[in-house]
Amino acid sequence: MLRWLARRIIAAALVVFVVTSLVFVVTHVFTDPATVSLPLEATEEHRADRRAALGIDRPLAVQYWDFVSGLVVGDLGESFWQDQPASKLVLERLPATLKLVAGATAVTVLLAAPMGMLAAWWERRFADHAVLGFSMASISAPPFWIGYLLIIVFAVQLGWVPTFGSRGFVSLILPSFAIGLASAGRLAQMTRRGIVEELRKPYAVTALSRGFSRSYTIVHHTFRNVASGFVTMTGWELTRMFTGYTVVIEVVFAWPGVGRLAIHAIENRDLILVQAAVVVLATLVVVTNLLVDIARRMIDPRVELA
Amino acid sequence: MSTTNGDGRTERLLEVKDLTVGFPTRDGIVRGVDHLTLNVGSHERLGVVGESGSGKSVMGLAILGMVLPPGRIMGGSVRWRGEDVLDPAVANRVRGREIAMIFQDPMVSLNPLKTVGSQLRELLQRRVGLQGSEIRQRSLELLDMVGIANASERLRAYAYELSGGMRQRVMIATALACEPTLVIADEPTTGLDVTIQDQILTLLHDLSTELGMSVLMITHDLGVVAQFCDRVQVMYAGRIVERAPINEMFTDPQHPYSLGLLHSVPRVDRDDGELTGIPGEPLDRAQFPPGCAFEPRCNEAQDGCRDAPPPLLKIAERRWVACYNRPAEGSP
Repeated sequence: MLRWLARRIIAAALVVFVVTSLVFVVTHVFTDPATVSLPLEATEEHRADRRAALGIDRPLAVQYWDFVSGLVVGDLGESFWQDQPASKLVLERLPATLKLVAGATAVTVLLAAPMGMLAAWWERRFADHAVLGFSMASISAPPFWIGYLLIIVFAVQLGWVPTFGSRGFVSLILPSFAIGLASAGRLAQMTRRGIVEELRKPYAVTALSRGFSRSYTIVHHTFRNVASGFVTMTGWELTRMFTGYTVVIEVVFAWPGVGRLAIHAIENRDLILVQAAVVVLATLVVVTNLLVDIARRMIDPRVELA
Repeated sequence: MSTTNGDGRTERLLEVKDLTVGFPTRDGIVRGVDHLTLNVGSHERLGVVGESGSGKSVMGLAILGMVLPPGRIMGGSVRWRGEDVLDPAVANRVRGREIAMIFQDPMVSLNPLKTVGSQLRELLQRRVGLQGSEIRQRSLELLDMVGIANASERLRAYAYELSGGMRQRVMIATALACEPTLVIADEPTTGLDVTIQDQILTLLHDLSTELGMSVLMITHDLGVVAQFCDRVQVMYAGRIVERAPINEMFTDPQHPYSLGLLHSVPRVDRDDGELTGIPGEPLDRAQFPPGCAFEPRCNEAQDGCRDAPPPLLKIAERRWVACYNRPAEGSP
């Protein structure tokens, strides 16, 4: 187990390295941060000055070495919009994003697992159709629209929670739902389908034939067998959250996270800061996948130690 | 032969009458089990034999009131000691506790993610009501009963870590956990090596004698029936076509299908000529003939066979046959 874990961590580190190198290629080879950061009418002189200031007049290999050696010690360059280290700016915003993703994941899992089980329990009955209806609605609605809807109903009309910003736990509720509902919808359907399939398998039929109730069999026998798929899918949803949903929802709710920072960085043509945000989010995605692998290994002893 | 109880009669445990299970298909409802009638007495080992697709497995589950959707029980009754098993409240009590099933494929019939110990524990805890150290003690006892060595080590094993024969022994142990009165064994030895098959059958035979359990053995294998059962029923297309004590079935089969079955089994104990199969294909169940289901393959078929399915009639003491060409007892 430990050797397996060590191998997985090394592999994850390699993936982070490759991904960040790709980010470097995009920001330094296909374009250059200096040109992007200046207005279109800037003179060639201006650009040369900016290039020198950013150190991107040097050969690419040297710049790449700088970038990589910086990565190792957590230096992601200077943001010229904020005049501060990019890594500091991103890491300051990271807790807010992590909180948001944690909230959204809680919404996803706590809604999807019981809804999937209920739908399977009442297969082809009202509860099943109701869950399907919820899933279809939540999957088809864009998260930002769900976000506005939630704000209008719960913040503006009912006044239960603040409309925006990050003020304690209550302000986390709406954005978490805005992100988590669609994920919960997808995951609930996957759970339901998995359980319905598992219920027809001989081990489940055996459990029922021993006199265990349908609900006991679902919770104690079949759910365990869909748990591995459940965790994998949750991991994918987390990936989607890190790379897309949080960005949109942080803007909608004025949530001070990495996603909103990235949007501002783009608006201010600060490629270095964008690059830093992307590197951090990509790392989170890789870490998520690593955690998913570990969880699956713990759920199912048959998962290969490869 | 069945042993008898105090007043000299076997007690009737299971009485299945006219049980019919239907599966909706594009061509209408296919009856997987069709007017099945069957009785199992105390201390009896009854065999139900038929080729694949004859409805044997559907029957086994239906006796417990279980039918996998979209199938459903369309009629008939299942009585256990006089109580209606098709009533969910009764079924709940009877399942596992009084009637336990053993399934064909022990690889997939044990939960792949639970250890042997936890599968026994949940039964002993939730279905028997044992607590604390009793559970472990009884688990070890059960594994011991089914001939598993290193029982305490095996409690921690997962199904995938065990051999096929070992898995089936664990399966039997889980069936015995609630001390059932009747065990329904659905092809318990199919898929196992021949030597292991023999061990498992011997084990089941010994356990049923020791614990006074009745066994309903569902199989396609006449060898298993010969080795194991006191009485046998032959099933074809969801119906019982013949019922006989074991010796008479082998010495004097009556139904043309039973005859065919016996002739398609190689015998090493005597050289009685050529091995012959049964002509034709097992029935396509969607094209149910209105008459005798075996008629298209039967070499004794007559015009009258196509009108209505022949009823199962008594032709002699303990002998029942569903064939128009076998006169019933008392008829001219």
